[in-house]
Amino acid sequence: MTAGTSGSALRTVGIGRVLALLVGTAWLGALALALTWLPVLTIARNRLALGDPRTGSEALGATGALVLAMSALAIALVVSRNRAAAALATLLLLLAILAFGQGLGAGAVRSLAGLPPAARASLGSGSWLGLFLLAGALSLAVRRSRKPGFGLAIGLGLGLALVVLGWSGAFDALSLAVEYAARRETVNAALAEHLALAGAALILAGFLAVGLSLLPQGLVALVLGGIQVVPAVALLGGMVAVMSGLLRAVPILRDLGLSALGPVPAIVAIAAYLALPLWRGLTLALRAPDDDTLQAAEALGLSRGQVLARVRLPIGAPILIGAVRVAAVQGLGLATLGALVGAGGLGRIVFDGMAQFAPDLILLGAIPVVVLSLLTERGLSRVEAAARRRWHA
Amino acid sequence: MSRSRRTAALGFALMGLGLAVASHPRVASWITEALGEPARRPLSVERLLDLAWKHLALAGTGLTLVAVLGIGLGILITRRFAEPWRPMIDGLAAAAQAVPPVVVVALALPILGFGGPPTLLALVAYGIMPVLRGTAGAIAGVAPEVREAGRAIGLTRLQILTRIELPLAAPDIVETLRTALVLAIATAAVGALAGASTLGTPIVSGLQNQNTVAMLQGTAATAALAFLADAALLAGVGGWRAIRP
Repeated sequence: MTAGTSGSALRTVGIGRVLALLVGTAWLGALALALTWLPVLTIARNRLALGDPRTGSEALGATGALVLAMSALAIALVVSRNRAAAALATLLLLLAILAFGQGLGAGAVRSLAGLPPAARASLGSGSWLGLFLLAGALSLAVRRSRKPGFGLAIGLGLGLALVVLGWSGAFDALSLAVEYAARRETVNAALAEHLALAGAALILAGFLAVGLSLLPQGLVALVLGGIQVVPAVALLGGMVAVMSGLLRAVPILRDLGLSALGPVPAIVAIAAYLALPLWRGLTLALRAPDDDTLQAAEALGLSRGQVLARVRLPIGAPILIGAVRVAAVQGLGLATLGALVGAGGLGRIVFDGMAQFAPDLILLGAIPVVVLSLLTERGLSRVEAAARRRWHA
Repeated sequence: MSRSRRTAALGFALMGLGLAVASHPRVASWITEALGEPARRPLSVERLLDLAWKHLALAGTGLTLVAVLGIGLGILITRRFAEPWRPMIDGLAAAAQAVPPVVVVALALPILGFGGPPTLLALVAYGIMPVLRGTAGAIAGVAPEVREAGRAIGLTRLQILTRIELPLAAPDIVETLRTALVLAIATAAVGALAGASTLGTPIVSGLQNQNTVAMLQGTAATAALAFLADAALLAGVGGWRAIRP
């Protein structure tokens, strides 16, 4: 028995080692493919035309080789499973990403030299694959280094360095930057609208969840579960129909500035979806303290309000924050669909790009949505973990 | 649990049937006029059924891919050799969830063109991670003593998987598949934005052309499809459990 267990443990370690090496090699191979063979840039006559592909060896030159060398060293360090090596790998990968970005910007300048001003250099599949691989390896290296707060520092550092590079004009020749420069105000306004939509829906759903927590649970679960089944596109459409009927029946609402299309139906529809995670989180959080704790609180002479504020909410806080995290990420995604009913937000830019078949415009709307969701996810899970440490240590 | 499940299945089925009736051209026109909107050009029953069929085909293909890949990978990552990779896969799953289906459809559009393919990609990209995570969670939730007992009576690893882990994890896996089903039907509706012809098409074009009847029909039919599919899955699972407790 003992021999069998240790033998299989040994074999597991062996397979794990081989697997790590295999994955590392495959990663490096894919990166080399992305940087040398796939098109990292496509050069087009204008923003809608199809472009000519430029591979990494044409567009990046020596920078490509530098990025590849740094990445090879970094992945070797990550595979070695040493914590200090992983920290070093993190720095190398950070530099590799920045060098890659700078190289793409410079490559775009070179490729556009001598072409008419309407010509565009967009990022090709090689760039996206390369950036995805580098970002994945970076997050793995951060995890392997197991330093508390290191991930946050690296994330902030990367964001700051990219902003500085962008500010200095390193990316100005890339089509995405040109597109942004042309619509700076629209994009910024859409970003603000998007946050307002998601935020308003989250707050409305929060009130809804508090109200629903007073009703019988089985009924609420059935209704909220039923709403989740309805596709968002359908709920938005239904909301517009209901709103227009309501406005016709009660014309005073129209004087209050309500209309069938616009932010209101979108906020209500999004809140209807967010109510389930929030309500579930709230009921679980309120039930989190066990009976002994509650009896102890009672014995201390705490009133019901005090028990809620000092016992139930602190003990349930991590669950509650987790529910808010799920709802917030969901809300940011659903707000994209709000543009369908004229609520604005980043979805409007995405849909404009789809209607024009302009990839860079789609990206201009899509990238902020993804970044916002990821930041919210990471940020709130940090708060959740902190709350868990604070009250459950 | 099973009673509330049966109530839910019955409720969803009734809801779906009611919505399907509401999507009928005559009923939808009547509702639209009751709402005070002019009822122009409702969709015929044939067109609605055709769209529903295409919607189901797209969502079904996506769900099949998601189920096979998601459950398969979920089983793989719960094997012992994959243990060191779990955090990375969980991180990837969280990152994939941060990209909403509309955005995946939009991003795939320039690469795959208009129609079904970008929608299918979005379906798979968005659905696979919850199923993978759900499957892995369900298998990890199987009590270690049961697994140990299986090893003690001399079952091979494959037998432990097929005779102990999967049957015990099945209820939770089905629950994740329900989520995936609802997601698949919703994403297929969103696919109308990329030109896939589904029940989302009348909603999107109805919103653009202010054709309230068509929009209402699309809305009711999409929701009906989602409710009926979910009820069918619930009822199917209930029946299967009754045969094999």
